[in-house]
Amino acid sequence: MHSMLRTVSCGCLLLTAFHFTAAPFAAAQTGRSRPRGRADLSIPTVEKKDLICFALYTVSDQTLKLTAQLYPLSDEDTKTVRLEIEKDGKWIEAARTAAIEPGWTATFRIENWDDTKSHRYRVAHGAEAFYEGMIRKNPVDKDEIVVAAFTGNSIHPVHGGDISRQDLIDNVKRADADLLFFSGDQVYDHNRHYAAWLKFGRDFGDIIRNRPTVCLPDDHDVGQPNLWGESGKISTLSGAADGGYAKPAVYVKEVERAQTSNLPDPVDPHKIGQGIGVYFTNLNWGNVDFAILEDRKFKTGPAGRVPKQGPRPDHIRNPDYDPASVDVDGAVLLGDRQLKFLRTWAQDWRQAELKVALSQTIFCGGAHIHGSANGRLHADMDSNGWPQSGRNRALDALRKGFAFHLAGDQHLATIFHHGIDEHRDAVWSFCVPSIANLYLRWWEPLEPGKNREPGAPEYTGDHLDGFANKVTNFAAANPEKKPAGNLLNTRAAGFGIVRFNTKDRTITMECWPRNVDITDADARQYPGWPRTISQFDNYNPPSWGKLGELTFNVADPVIQVIEAGNGDVLYTVRAKGTSFTPMAPNGKAFIVKAGKDAPTTVVSENAKVGGDAINVSLK
Amino acid sequence: MSPEKTENRPPHQPTGSVTDGILVSVLRLSAFLCLAGWAWVHLYWEGPYGVLLWQDSTYDFAQWLGISWEEFVGNGVDEGWVQRWISRIGWIYVACAILSLTARKTSDLQMLVLLTGTGMLAVLSYAKYVAAQRQLPMLVEHGGQVLAPALLALALALGGRHRVTVGVAMVAVVTTFAGHGAYALGWWPTPGNFYAMISLSLGLDYDSATTMLRIAGFLDLAVGVLLFIPPLRRFAAGYAVLWGLLTSLARPVAGMSTGLIYWGADQYLHESILRAPHFLIPLYLFLLWRRPRPADATLEPPS
Repeated sequence: MHSMLRTVSCGCLLLTAFHFTAAPFAAAQTGRSRPRGRADLSIPTVEKKDLICFALYTVSDQTLKLTAQLYPLSDEDTKTVRLEIEKDGKWIEAARTAAIEPGWTATFRIENWDDTKSHRYRVAHGAEAFYEGMIRKNPVDKDEIVVAAFTGNSIHPVHGGDISRQDLIDNVKRADADLLFFSGDQVYDHNRHYAAWLKFGRDFGDIIRNRPTVCLPDDHDVGQPNLWGESGKISTLSGAADGGYAKPAVYVKEVERAQTSNLPDPVDPHKIGQGIGVYFTNLNWGNVDFAILEDRKFKTGPAGRVPKQGPRPDHIRNPDYDPASVDVDGAVLLGDRQLKFLRTWAQDWRQAELKVALSQTIFCGGAHIHGSANGRLHADMDSNGWPQSGRNRALDALRKGFAFHLAGDQHLATIFHHGIDEHRDAVWSFCVPSIANLYLRWWEPLEPGKNREPGAPEYTGDHLDGFANKVTNFAAANPEKKPAGNLLNTRAAGFGIVRFNTKDRTITMECWPRNVDITDADARQYPGWPRTISQFDNYNPPSWGKLGELTFNVADPVIQVIEAGNGDVLYTVRAKGTSFTPMAPNGKAFIVKAGKDAPTTVVSENAKVGGDAINVSLK
Repeated sequence: MSPEKTENRPPHQPTGSVTDGILVSVLRLSAFLCLAGWAWVHLYWEGPYGVLLWQDSTYDFAQWLGISWEEFVGNGVDEGWVQRWISRIGWIYVACAILSLTARKTSDLQMLVLLTGTGMLAVLSYAKYVAAQRQLPMLVEHGGQVLAPALLALALALGGRHRVTVGVAMVAVVTTFAGHGAYALGWWPTPGNFYAMISLSLGLDYDSATTMLRIAGFLDLAVGVLLFIPPLRRFAAGYAVLWGLLTSLARPVAGMSTGLIYWGADQYLHESILRAPHFLIPLYLFLLWRRPRPADATLEPPS
């Protein structure tokens, strides 16, 4: 007993003492200069002319939504903020609004926006403060829409978060991205969102001011380590696994106002619990139709709902557990309102060549080893692999529109091809790497994947994730096992570039480390990237066969395939060119519809795999 | 009643005052519940050491001891050094909790175990402090829990009325309430669960909850001052008993639900149990400072 006590006591003391004293020494041993302490989040005192920190905007369906972010206004300062547009060399006031406190945001909404040309704008406050930028024209004439995607913006020096973002700014400009997507954790400070958001604006404002930007608040943004929003419930449990929001609603509303009030109007604006709003909607830009989802807001918290499987209510350590035991009745992922939206969205192909879902994270358990000294986790209910039924419903809704899924949050860049009933029968996802990686994760299955590509690493191929979801991995930017030296790239930090080619209907995923020049021929992406897929790969189950080829007298018609037996829409998609061969399950009959912009004409009422070709006139 | 005048005189305490045995029993219960609650956390859930263990420096240290990566964090089949170490700590908490019930002045081992319990709780509170981005109130507010086993050891060794015992108990109460008060007053960001517990338990809106928190924070700090003013100290201790009990119970009251497995008891009950020192140490002071009845006060202790 004495020996054990002594051992433990000494262990405790050693750990604490080592924590205090040895970290700087260890840093020196690895040759890095690692500043101690936390990030400086003080709000700078600015001159009146600099009161406007930055501005975000989107344009969709001829409506401009712009949010200006201000530094704190004094009592003497006017609260009125103006939006001016340059016309013929003169600034014309287009709208004015009052800055909202808390958060000092000024939100503008202008209908009947002419998106056929670019406009210079400036946000004005008083007579001195002006902030200029460019509202881009809708790039419908471009063949390739470029999205620069980011996640996980740690600013802590210990993760390299204090290193300049200038490389990201430069590369976005080099890529001339048409849209910026920040998928979550723009802010890691759990108490000072406003101060951190201003810093985010100072870091990224130079690219945000000139291009549409989508920011999705995730758990850390709203001040908690994980988020199962559970339709606005109040969370009391440490870690928030009981579901709901840990911060007062006034804080959550401020965060959402700052980060999402520039998004197109929500399609279903009814508020959730505590009066918290919603922002799920779609953004049509350059003929790419983006569904903007909130995959946390309605999700059920696992604590007390699922049988305990590990040391945390949301963690499953036991690899022998029964995955079905946690797929409990009533557990929600996207929720009925978002699923309803997605089903409608997937059938709407007006001004759309490609469909993309943007959300906080991917629909599977996309990591095995988690960086909190917990080692290997069999499954993590913070991931969208849980609840499985909700995950399958989400993927099923997305694949009906052949939607590609772009997300973040995992701190680990991956490419997955998801499966529901069989491997590879649903959509592809790209989880982009963190800007600076707070928390390390690895995709490292114990068994080699099946059906791997020749020469591909063993971690690729067909797998079951910790919830027994079918996933096929094509790439994973695993960090080094013991990060050392460079604080960013050995921790697998970086960003994603996705090129949506609306002409040939391909999607190219690029995954870049930090501090490279993406136009440099010698610059290398993380292993496994780039990868190009076809839009039609997002719903092409291996077991399916071909219906008869359809030939049209118009280019790019919209095709819809419906199960004749039950009337369920199998999918809707815009064809490429004047011919299209629908794919469908064997042994069933299908109704095929087509139309120029909507599937209004019945082409066949009894189409089957192996059926005859059909010529269709749609004029 | 000053501690100096009563020390080492339990057989001669004024009639009507609480016996030393009762005082020690209150401290014993405080230490036991606190240690048992944390044992539950360690064995059923997980000790909060991740923030300390997941440091490059800690791994460097482990590597220096010849422990490999997989030995350190586990490989999925076998538990790693981290999991085994945390689990063992849980069993030590169990041992400490059991021995807190049986500890006697004459057993050096039992006294050592109690002090070890305080040491382990100190490490634990330091881990929570680091996890809270080194917010001072997080460290300070654990004073009551950290000192609970040591307080029992002192009471056993020196007596429940010894001035050192009383002084440490006052420090335990002051730190606990000062930490909570600093958060409630908003000197450091008020934790969201403070608002959540008030909203769910009392149905107050944000503005009303804020007002209540500010008042509660002020009273928390007032407790720390009034404990040192003899005419008011018993009132302060009494308030601390009530408020400490209510804030401990608020966790299960706000979180438990009949719709949850075990009604959520396994998620929330230990949160109350491990906070037992928040109201039992003030109860100890409240009982200690109980005034003798007027008729009894005329009795002189034998010379």
